[in-house]
Amino acid sequence: MPDTVSIDWYVALSIILFTIGAMGVLLRRNAIVVFMSVEMMLNSANLAFVAFSRYLGDLDGQVLTFFVITVAAAEVAVGLALIVTIFRTKQSINIDDINTMKG
Amino acid sequence: MEGAFGFAPLLLVFPAVGVLFNTFAGRRLVQADRKTGEMYSGWFASLMAFSAFLVAVVLLFSLRGHDFHAEVVTLFDWFNVPSANFHIPWAIQVDTLSVTMMLVVTGVGTLIHIYAIGYMHGDPGFHRFFAYLNLFLFFMLILVSGSTYLMLFVGWEGVGLCSYLLIGFWFDRQNEEGKAMNADAGRKAFVVNRVGDFAMVLAMILLFWTFKSLDFGTIFSGAVELFEAGHGVELFGMEMSVGAVLTAVTFLFLLGAAGKSAQIPFYVWLPDAMAGPTPVSALIHAATMVTAGVYLMVRSNVLLEIARESTRLGVEGANVLGLASPDWIALTGAATAVLAGLIAFTQFDIKKVLAYSTVSQLGFMVAAAGMGAYVAAMFHLITHAFFKALLFLSSGSVIHGMEHGHHHLHEHSHGHDAHHEEEKFDPQDMRTMGGLRSKMPTTFAVYMVGSLALAGIFPLAGFWSKDEILAHASANHGTVFTVVYWMLTIAAFCTAFYMGRQIKMVFFGAPRHEAAKHASESPPLMTTPLIVLAALAVLGGLLNFPFFGESAFETAEETHNFGIFLGLEHWLEHSIPTFELTTEGIVQMPHTPTWLQLSVAGISTVLALAALGASIFVVYRNRPQTADERDPLQSTPIWWFAILPFEWFYMHTVVPAFKGSARWLAEVLDGAFWHDFVHNNVVRDLFVGFAKFSATVLDANGVDGLVNGSGRFVRYVGSVVRKTQTGYARNYALGVFLGTVLLLAYFIFAN
Repeated sequence: MPDTVSIDWYVALSIILFTIGAMGVLLRRNAIVVFMSVEMMLNSANLAFVAFSRYLGDLDGQVLTFFVITVAAAEVAVGLALIVTIFRTKQSINIDDINTMKG
Repeated sequence: MEGAFGFAPLLLVFPAVGVLFNTFAGRRLVQADRKTGEMYSGWFASLMAFSAFLVAVVLLFSLRGHDFHAEVVTLFDWFNVPSANFHIPWAIQVDTLSVTMMLVVTGVGTLIHIYAIGYMHGDPGFHRFFAYLNLFLFFMLILVSGSTYLMLFVGWEGVGLCSYLLIGFWFDRQNEEGKAMNADAGRKAFVVNRVGDFAMVLAMILLFWTFKSLDFGTIFSGAVELFEAGHGVELFGMEMSVGAVLTAVTFLFLLGAAGKSAQIPFYVWLPDAMAGPTPVSALIHAATMVTAGVYLMVRSNVLLEIARESTRLGVEGANVLGLASPDWIALTGAATAVLAGLIAFTQFDIKKVLAYSTVSQLGFMVAAAGMGAYVAAMFHLITHAFFKALLFLSSGSVIHGMEHGHHHLHEHSHGHDAHHEEEKFDPQDMRTMGGLRSKMPTTFAVYMVGSLALAGIFPLAGFWSKDEILAHASANHGTVFTVVYWMLTIAAFCTAFYMGRQIKMVFFGAPRHEAAKHASESPPLMTTPLIVLAALAVLGGLLNFPFFGESAFETAEETHNFGIFLGLEHWLEHSIPTFELTTEGIVQMPHTPTWLQLSVAGISTVLALAALGASIFVVYRNRPQTADERDPLQSTPIWWFAILPFEWFYMHTVVPAFKGSARWLAEVLDGAFWHDFVHNNVVRDLFVGFAKFSATVLDANGVDGLVNGSGRFVRYVGSVVRKTQTGYARNYALGVFLGTVLLLAYFIFAN
């Protein structure tokens, strides 16, 4: 590849994706969307891992990415199950309706 | 510390360990496995008693190696109030007198423990029994080993407690009317003793006011000093001679001893105390506890002698109705000896006869102590411990055998009237016995030894000790001595008579009940201690063997040199300072002949043989034939004694007198100490004031303020912090996010 994209761009993209994800988690009301935002944050981290792995010529980052993907898959399974259960009891997936922890 | 006196505390440790063992482990052991559990429980207790005996033996040899000088082993300070000059150490007095008592208590005690393993077999309270027995030994050893009157009193009360616990050992047993007789008997013993114990407390208070100490040594030397110098003491705001104070003290001691040692008028509790298990009757109510009063007298011999001498010298106030208080002691003892001897004629319960006999023999000892024959009193105490323990244990064996026979009978007659029989059968009623001689040969043999020793037949132990008391009474001049001598002679006659009646009714003739026909000998565990005690009852006289003939030694020194036979006399000489007092010419002790007085011994032996013969071969010759037959004495004046209302007399004279004197004393003390004023106006008002201040000021503002304040503070903090808990997931997520950012910022920028 004659012109490789410099590492800066990957990092910048990763930051942007992470920020979007974080904002989504903090600001959105729909639990599914919040969930997808979490996935976005995880994948931004994956992107950074892979980019650095290639930049440094070291496979550790890529190995870690597989771990993250695996954990994320498990997390999605648990999380979606929770959301389904919450919907069944509350007839809503608006996370502002779930405030039983209020002191 | 020289010798092995350091072992002295072990004397108390062993029985205490036994108590703890049977209290905590005994029940589990017995419940887990009846047979081995009983073995562990009983033998451990016996081993502890025996260990205490060994300690006493060690102390005996240390005293020998120490030239018989008394040693006081202080364990710790019990009370120490320097401002009031009140200092009581917890100390063990090791001298010849206390070691003698220790040997008797632990020696006879060990044998009775072993016997009890057989006797109590199968009882649901087996371990409890042995815990109490060891507790009794513990307190009895405190009583005899204490070096102060207060320690003696601790033991005194402690044995009273054990007596109560053990008389009421079968507290759940009821008679036909549904009354808990055993528990009542225990309570009676305890309550009757209160009066005497109250007198003991008063005596101790008087002693403390006079001598500012309760220590034996301090009091005795102080008393001799004061008496010698003729100084008085300041009591109740007036000057009193030491003789008058000691007269009061010894008279109060008489009341205390009358309670514990069952003398007139308090003896009413002892016959009832037979409700307890027989080993208890033997150990506590014959051999040891009831002799505590005699020990007290002998221990206080210096006080008694000074009181007697003061009366003789006509010191003002030093007499009670014209007689010295030791004279009252002697007369009380002699009167008790006769009265109880006569009552014993009328008893049908095998143990009650022995109980009245014990009261009577205690009367001998108290009379001896009152006459100044301290060695004779101790001698009789020791021999009596041997043969009376023997008699009680043998009677227990008889009862055991009778019960066995009754069970046997019951098993073999499934017929019609077995139940009817059982309802009215009393294994202790001598009328249902008879002819047990061939059924229980060992018991019969040892019973005969014990009876003859008690009756005072030559050459058994009782002969020597009783004779020494009688010889002392006859050898001294004075109306009191003469009266006491004749009363005791009559009592000796009574003793032989009722013992003859008893052995005739129990062992001879034909069986008068089916149970007696089928009675069988007790197991070896019970008969072996009996044989040992029988040997002691035979040989006990050797302890203080008098000289024969009239060839008395002229001087004390000569007697001393030839005194190898008079073991006890010389042994106790080191605790009973006869010679020290007389050589200083202060006090003339009444003197005891050290040779056998043939006239006295002859009269008492002839009387005893006559009484035995009269009862066995004349009065009870062919009687009783059946269990329902009237007693031959039933139509004679002697029977009056059985129906005389002694209890009523006790309740209507002694009790009101006690109440009245207690009230009078309360008023006197009130006057002397402004008791009420101090209590009401100083103690109570100050206390109430302080309590009010505490309640209204300290508590309301201080304590409550602190408690409520901390509560309010926590609530306030909570109300502030609660606002952060919105329950919205995104708020928590924001928290996590910001936290991460902060941590990252820290790690990035801090380094």
